[in-house]
Amino acid sequence: MLVAACVKWADLRPEVDPVHGTVRSTGRSDGFSEADRAAVEVALGLAEGWGARVAVVCAGPPAAEAGLRELQAVGVDRAVRVDLAPDQPSEAVAASLAPVLSALLAADVVVCGDYSADRGSGSVPAYLAHLLGAEQALGLVGVAAHGDDGVAGVRRLDGGRREDVVAGAPAVVSVEGSVATLRRASLAATLGAGAAAVEVVPGRPDPRAEAPRTEPWRPRARHVAPPEGDDALDRVVQLTGAFVERTPPRTVELEPAEAAQAVLDQLRAWGYLEPPGRPD
Amino acid sequence: MSNVATPAFGAPDFDAVVVGAGPAGSAAALELARAGRRVCLVERGPYPGAKNMYGGVVYGRILDTLLPNWWEEAPVQRWVTRRQTMILTETAATTLDVRNEAWGRPPYNGATAYRPDFDAWLAQKAVDAGAVLVCSTTVTGLLREDGRPDGKVVGVRTDRPDGDLTAKVVVACDGVNSFLAKEAGLYPTVDPANYTVGVKETIALPRDVIDERFGVRGDHGVDIEILGCTGDVPGGGFVYTNLDTVAVGLVLSLPELSRGDQRPEQLLARLKAHPAVAPLVEGGDVKEYSAHVIPEAGFDMMPELVGDGILVAGDAAAMCLAAGIWLEGVNFAIGAGAAAGRTAARAVQRDDTSAAGLAGYRARLESSFVLADHRRLRDAPHLVMGELAQQKMPRVVNGVVEELFTVTNPDPKPRLRTILRRQMKRHGVKWRDAVKDGLRAARTFG
Repeated sequence: MLVAACVKWADLRPEVDPVHGTVRSTGRSDGFSEADRAAVEVALGLAEGWGARVAVVCAGPPAAEAGLRELQAVGVDRAVRVDLAPDQPSEAVAASLAPVLSALLAADVVVCGDYSADRGSGSVPAYLAHLLGAEQALGLVGVAAHGDDGVAGVRRLDGGRREDVVAGAPAVVSVEGSVATLRRASLAATLGAGAAAVEVVPGRPDPRAEAPRTEPWRPRARHVAPPEGDDALDRVVQLTGAFVERTPPRTVELEPAEAAQAVLDQLRAWGYLEPPGRPD
Repeated sequence: MSNVATPAFGAPDFDAVVVGAGPAGSAAALELARAGRRVCLVERGPYPGAKNMYGGVVYGRILDTLLPNWWEEAPVQRWVTRRQTMILTETAATTLDVRNEAWGRPPYNGATAYRPDFDAWLAQKAVDAGAVLVCSTTVTGLLREDGRPDGKVVGVRTDRPDGDLTAKVVVACDGVNSFLAKEAGLYPTVDPANYTVGVKETIALPRDVIDERFGVRGDHGVDIEILGCTGDVPGGGFVYTNLDTVAVGLVLSLPELSRGDQRPEQLLARLKAHPAVAPLVEGGDVKEYSAHVIPEAGFDMMPELVGDGILVAGDAAAMCLAAGIWLEGVNFAIGAGAAAGRTAARAVQRDDTSAAGLAGYRARLESSFVLADHRRLRDAPHLVMGELAQQKMPRVVNGVVEELFTVTNPDPKPRLRTILRRQMKRHGVKWRDAVKDGLRAARTFG
């Protein structure tokens, strides 16, 4: 049996420009959030009860490997880093983590933090549960083993009420940072962890995650046949369209949708838009 | 089972344990690792330099022998090409301004730096050489041979589970107020009068604004030392430029501060509002406020530097030089740390890390600038923190300069000695005291 904890390497204390709201990461305060560290502690606790092994999977850059080795020092058996660029959407993060959890690790129970520190939405655990076909219990404020492979949790409800939930393996649970405090590694383990192995698996970045272009729209260049004629004046007259009968302005009275279509048709007729079927 | 290996018991875990990954500790670990010794560098913070607290300028000449061409890769903010000594009263300022473009070219002179960058860089050099760096680990005490209180130091105890770390020699670079040096019995007495507290604000300003306000260009920077800016509390101030921040701070006598009714941040706010300082820092965004204790008394407060199985270096050994015009610490720490590392490596090689086997450390320091400068300038901290330099001299200097440059037509210009006599009388300075302190200063600095 294997319990996996999913963690994310993020800047825990980025600098925020008070005027512009720009977020700047210095890299000095990168690490795992309290929720992620709680998830690792919960995974270790569950595994101890079941006699299971513990793996930790991290979506992050190479710098995360130092943090993963620290987690190995507290008792994690196996560490995998999924090489994924930052600012990927939750769907892409989950799509990168799921095959590692299912095919590589064959995890029975997956424990995540309730949301990542870099303005995360907390939706990765739900995506993971969907992709793994697992039961889910998210945002737990208390976790305990339930039977041989299940998880019993307590979830926060409105009005100070609580809800008891049980999820059987395969299961994905997410926990708040207050659920547990990550144990402290022994000195010998800390020293030994410096040489511990971290497996690296390529991630699956979402092409849609690329930032949208914000440059002004420019129509594509059109091919225009060169003017004919021996006389320069004739060629200039041709190029400028002088003396050519022009399309007179027209007024149309249409419903909005039809009017929009008429505008698009006219723009295509003039060559400002590509014909239908070709990307603009 | 975890794939983490655990060291074998029996033999010491390491040849040497260096406590504290500041400049002294990293230099010691670097020298030990280069000598082929197994060395563990233990750091309390999450990374070396996590506190980012010091007085301003790193003088890198000591690095020439340790890391040739260090300036090509050291994480420097600005090279200091302009130094000022500013003497203030409440409304006036007299400034000695020195500018030297040669200090902005290799091999350079001094530089401003962020300690998280600088300390991490130096610690990484030690790691690259083979040292093992362990962060987020606090050393809580010394391990003694056979558990006897007076036994030879054979390692350290940390706050981690199973946190004992044995070694043939311990190099204590755990900073000012060194608990290890005290536990080892190397500090016979601790007098609060020997300490100051430093407070500092790091203020963000656009780079071009800093260039314009301080009159520098490119990667050149300014370091200003200030006297007479601390009210009734003996001390001094400083301002220095980073690339896009300015640090402004005070160093204040610890006993006087605790006796008075003013808090350090109030005194710092007053300095920032002074007409000579306000134009330099106004409009900035305070990014950081930090405070730190400084061993101010230098040579006269130094502990025994060597014990049975232990050496002390850096601020832990009070090696910060606070001698008025010279405010240096990082270079002394690096020099002492490197000497401790070399001594420890040689003692381990000879298998004699007793106090006698480590005695060469003091001799190394005596023959280097570390103790030579401290010994020669041992009276300087007392002079600088005395009443004459702190309270009276700034008023006399600014009074003399004010009279000198105030045109009093139709009265004729007064003679300089007349002005001086008048100002000394006005501010209660006796010729006898001035001559006495002048002679002391001549003996110290001359």
